Amino acid sequence: MNDDGTLHDATLQDAARRLGVTAAERLDVERTAQAVVARLRAEPRARGAWVWIQPAWLKIAAALVIVAGAGVVTRALWREPPGAAAPIETIDLGDLSAAQLSELLRSVERPGAPEPVSWQDVSLEDLSTPQLRALLASLDMKT
Amino acid sequence: MPPAEPAAVPSPTDAALIAAWQGGDEQAAAELVRRHARALARFLAGAGAPEADLDDVVQETFIRAFRAAGSFRGQCRFRTWLLTIGGNVVKDAHRHAKRARVVPLADDLRSTEGDPHERAVAAEAEGRLAEGLRRLPRMQREVFLLRAQQGLEYDEIAAALGSTPGAARVHYHHAVKRLKEYVK
Repeated sequence: MNDDGTLHDATLQDAARRLGVTAAERLDVERTAQAVVARLRAEPRARGAWVWIQPAWLKIAAALVIVAGAGVVTRALWREPPGAAAPIETIDLGDLSAAQLSELLRSVERPGAPEPVSWQDVSLEDLSTPQLRALLASLDMKT
Repeated sequence: MPPAEPAAVPSPTDAALIAAWQGGDEQAAAELVRRHARALARFLAGAGAPEADLDDVVQETFIRAFRAAGSFRGQCRFRTWLLTIGGNVVKDAHRHAKRARVVPLADDLRSTEGDPHERAVAAEAEGRLAEGLRRLPRMQREVFLLRAQQGLEYDEIAAALGSTPGAARVHYHHAVKRLKEYVK
C-alpha cells in the first residue's frame, strides 16, 4: 500500500472487490424497490416527521417548565407570608404613645430580623413588622 | 427515407429524482432504489449485515434515506450518503440483535465459475476479510469499504462521514494494516 491509498496486496485487493458481490447479486432489486415504495406509502411521512420533531418539543416544554418553576420559587421567596397585616391607615407616629405602638405591634406580630429605622421619616404603612419592632425598642429605651 | 430514430432521453440525475420524490413521485423513489440497491447491498454485506437480513437492511436504509431526504444538501453523491445511512442501520441492527455475522463461505463455494481450488481460496480470503472488518472500529471499517470496495476518493469519503480527507486516509491505512494480518 502506498500513500496514494492503493492496495498493493493482491489478495486483500481481490477480496475487497469480491466482498458482498454474491450477496448483492441475490438481491431482487425490483422487488426491493416495490417493497420500499409500499412501505413509504403505508407509513405516512408525517409519522416520521413527528419522530424528529418530538425532541424539539420536549426541549421547549422542558424550558417552559424550568422558567415557570423558577418564577414560582422566586415568588415564594419574595411574597409576604400568609396572615400578613392589612394596610393600615396613614397615622402620624408622633400621635402615638409607646403603649399604643406596643399594642399595634402585638396585633401584627410576625417573625423577622429587626432593622434600624428612624420614626421621623416614615409613616406606619411604610414599615414592616420588624421595623416597627425596632422602632418600639428605640422608644422604650428613650422612656 | 428511413424514419428518424427517436432521440435518446437522458436519464434523470439522482438530484432530480430526489426532488421528484419530495414532490410526491413514488416512481422516482423506486428508480433510486433500482440504481443503488446492489452497491448498497455490497456495502452492507461488507459492513456486517447478515445475508439472511440483507433485503430488510437495504429496505430500511432506503426508507430512512427517503424520510431524511430534506437534510441531504448534496455535500456528497447520493450513493455515498446512502451508504453512510446504511452503516447506521447495520450498527442499530447489531445493537438490537447482537448476533455474529455468518460468512457465506458455502454459498461462494457453490459457484460453478472458474477453478474450484481458486474459488475456494478466494472465498476463504473473503471470509477472513469479512471477519477482519467485523473487528475493526466502525470508522476504519466504513472508510475501508468506501475506498476499497466502492472506489471513492478521500474527499468524497470525508464529506460523507463528516471528517477530513487526511483523517480518512489515516483510517484507511490503519484498516489495511490490520486487515492484511487477517487475509495473508
